Amino acid sequence: MLTVRNRCHDPFYNQAFEEYVFETFRDENMVLLWQNDPTVVVGCHQNICREVRWPLLRELHVPVVRRMSGGGTVYHDLGNLNYTLMAPQDQMPDYDSALAPVIAALNDLSIPAQKRRSCDIAIGEQKISGSAQRVTGGRVLHHGTLLFDSDLELLDRITTHHKNDCFQTKGTVSAICAVTNIRDHLQTDMTLEEFRAELLQRLLSGGREIVLTADQEREVERLRDEKYCSWQWTWGKTPSFSYEKTGEFMGTPIRVAYSAKRGILSNVQVECEAFDAGKAEKALEGAKLDPEAMEQLCLDLTGKPELLNFFL
Amino acid sequence: MEKELTMPKLRPEMESGVLCAWLKEEGDVVSAGEPIYEIETDKVVNQIEATESGVLKKQLIEEGDTVPVSSPVAILETK
Repeated sequence: MLTVRNRCHDPFYNQAFEEYVFETFRDENMVLLWQNDPTVVVGCHQNICREVRWPLLRELHVPVVRRMSGGGTVYHDLGNLNYTLMAPQDQMPDYDSALAPVIAALNDLSIPAQKRRSCDIAIGEQKISGSAQRVTGGRVLHHGTLLFDSDLELLDRITTHHKNDCFQTKGTVSAICAVTNIRDHLQTDMTLEEFRAELLQRLLSGGREIVLTADQEREVERLRDEKYCSWQWTWGKTPSFSYEKTGEFMGTPIRVAYSAKRGILSNVQVECEAFDAGKAEKALEGAKLDPEAMEQLCLDLTGKPELLNFFL
Repeated sequence: MEKELTMPKLRPEMESGVLCAWLKEEGDVVSAGEPIYEIETDKVVNQIEATESGVLKKQLIEEGDTVPVSSPVAILETK
């Protein structure tokens, strides 16, 4: 068993780091522990626009990153510890075999964690960990969150109460669960750093820690820039959907409707007398599903960024 | 020869999978072992690799659709 040291908190770098390790260390069993600054992470095939309210995330300065495994939307912050396990498929064929060492390590730390549903870990009825997997070429990447000391109020605000129901869409829909922090269930308090060290020691079970070489580091950075920071990956991978929203803007009725395939908008309809709706339609038809460009358009049309709430 | 590719059964309890992404377009040359599409079931994304080489003649499923195990998803033209 090997672990690769990663103390970076940048979510885009960390996604690239995980993919790079998965693609590079194909003959080893790996364990990674890592953390992200406040971030929303969506599943590989999720509709970002449905899962999160982008204007809210922008207001909170929380970025959205798309991961390469399946499943739903999660919120990470520095109170959350992520773990990743990599192994050949015959050694880790299902969730049970992946979760077992993690649950055993938690139990060994006197945390009464148990498996719940197909791939969650819970204390009692409250979830402390969700996980997902990716399988390529006979190898499994299993990763999960461990809520240790997270801002559960913000997590709730971001991931559970702001689903956007103006979308008719395919793609994976997130589950909504009651959650709790591990730290509240410790017999003897410890810091996240201490928890991380204890957990690593148990999961690594005598294995060793390595660091990436400068060349490997550059490869991770290249993957970060070319894939995980790209519009193509984050927004362009959004499954096809159609959108419609009606309401009132500046005292007049408004209706916005469009379709999107591979992140490109079509059949755009904008009806509102408070601004030049024809200009909006023309600007959006064939354009990318790009919230920043849409926000700029809203400013150009009306000077009011809140118009974006009708476009996304 | 035309060969039908079908939704694989990856785990005993699997009844269907979502074909979430095509990695090869119609007309693309596919080598044995190369991934052709991705499916998602129970939060697992699986890349499905070709078992033999050929040309991807027809995609029978749209991205995002749920496909029962053993149902056809594509036609591969093999030699």
